[in-house]
Amino acid sequence: MTPHYTPVTDALSSRFWQGTRERKLMIQRCTATQRPQWYPRSHSMHAPGAPVEWMQASGRGTLFTYSVIHRGNGTTPTPYICAVVELEEGVLFTTTLRGIGDEDIRIGMPLQVDYAEAGPDLVLPFFKPAEPT
Amino acid sequence: MKLSGAAAIVGIHESPLRDAPQVHPFALQMECVLAALEDAGLQLSDVDGLCCASGDWAEGGAVESVIEFAEYAGLKPTWFDGTDIGGCSYVAHLGKASTAIAAGLAEVVVISYAACPRWWPLKTPSFDPFVYAAGPGQYELPYDPTLISAYGMFAHRHMHLYGTTPQQLAQVAVTFRQHALANPQARMRKPVTVEDVLASPMVASPLHRLDCCVVTDGGGAVVVTGRERARDLKKKPVHVAGFGAAVHRTQLSQMDRDIVTPAALSGPRAFQMAGLTPADVDVAQIYDAFTITPMLALEDLGFCARGESGAFVADGHLGIGGRLPTNTDGGGMASNHPGKRGIFTIIEATRQLRGEGPGVQVSDAEVALAHGLGGTFCSAATALLTL
Repeated sequence: MTPHYTPVTDALSSRFWQGTRERKLMIQRCTATQRPQWYPRSHSMHAPGAPVEWMQASGRGTLFTYSVIHRGNGTTPTPYICAVVELEEGVLFTTTLRGIGDEDIRIGMPLQVDYAEAGPDLVLPFFKPAEPT
Repeated sequence: MKLSGAAAIVGIHESPLRDAPQVHPFALQMECVLAALEDAGLQLSDVDGLCCASGDWAEGGAVESVIEFAEYAGLKPTWFDGTDIGGCSYVAHLGKASTAIAAGLAEVVVISYAACPRWWPLKTPSFDPFVYAAGPGQYELPYDPTLISAYGMFAHRHMHLYGTTPQQLAQVAVTFRQHALANPQARMRKPVTVEDVLASPMVASPLHRLDCCVVTDGGGAVVVTGRERARDLKKKPVHVAGFGAAVHRTQLSQMDRDIVTPAALSGPRAFQMAGLTPADVDVAQIYDAFTITPMLALEDLGFCARGESGAFVADGHLGIGGRLPTNTDGGGMASNHPGKRGIFTIIEATRQLRGEGPGVQVSDAEVALAHGLGGTFCSAATALLTL
């Protein structure tokens, strides 16, 4: 389903959106400190003069917080779950949570990324409960 | 330069309207400006400074609204501030206006606001980070987060970290509604219980409809001048003892891990400037867009320890007779909320110090706090007012 707000991509962000089309979750890393950052920027948040490089995130994380939206903006059918996920790499990532009943949601629960077609050339990552290993 | 007490609030006005069908927000804003000047015993021709931020939805202007509203008002201010940091913009304006007055850059500054969301027919006229999926917003907006869900996410995190309960959140709405019962202008004037709040429809978990502010039309204005000139005006001056403001973030992915908000920066700066502590505050007006909103502020401003706002609220400390009587007019929960409510925190704080509270009145209040936030805990501004 096409979202109400489709991303206006730019020279920097196109690498991320290319990644989602390849089912890869691309984040950034500071080349001086090796620390990750999200969202993508042209500078390092950890050593502002240092170059940044792209890295593929594992796609695993835990639920940082969420809200089940019962009254939405009119585009996405309700209810749906907006969430902030703490990626294994240590950054917070805003997304939606799918494949889980409201009553089973627990902050801190393990999650894994999946991908959904959301329009022409647009693939949106979302998160779902991690499969038991 | 000694800023504390150099400027004083000498005129205030809050529109009694809660519905203003077909009234352009500039007309309502101008009514408030003229009434606040009348309250002070000043004329429009005395005004040389203007603060407004009227470019948001239903406020009538666009990005450069300080020019638009100056023109509408017939003012040619030589000092002005149109900085828009959301709902607390006007509290931040109060600090900047006081600074300008202390520096001799302006003599009489009007801070004004109005919005008419009940009938406003247009879409957002200008830049709004919540509806702009370019740059940083492109990674979040496609998921359709709502404004209320962002507050819900802060609330859920607070519940997870500190065991805060939906009942404690609901108590905020119950207390402020209680204060509104005495305010003839308040939108909501029937008592509610914790059970009523929890039984109201869920909007964005864990926030129910009654965890949310009302949506009204409305407006207000505040007149500020120097300490000396303030002495000779109509009303007892209310001095700006201290102020602070800070901005943090907009995107949810940038939220603080411990959900500390910019109030933790704005508050201590205001207290330090004023030479006061939280224990000195007799009455507080704290922006309450949603029940979680004032709770985080209570912790960040130092009225209770981190994680203890739930117990603080449940113990009745926000009511009359509590440790910190708050939102004595009913606040955004029950009195009015046109969209950027910060100006009403200044107006009600001033009324409390004057003994003119329209809802419940704290007796002999000498120190009042006005605190606002903007966006989804994106910005904060704090002012301490004294007689």
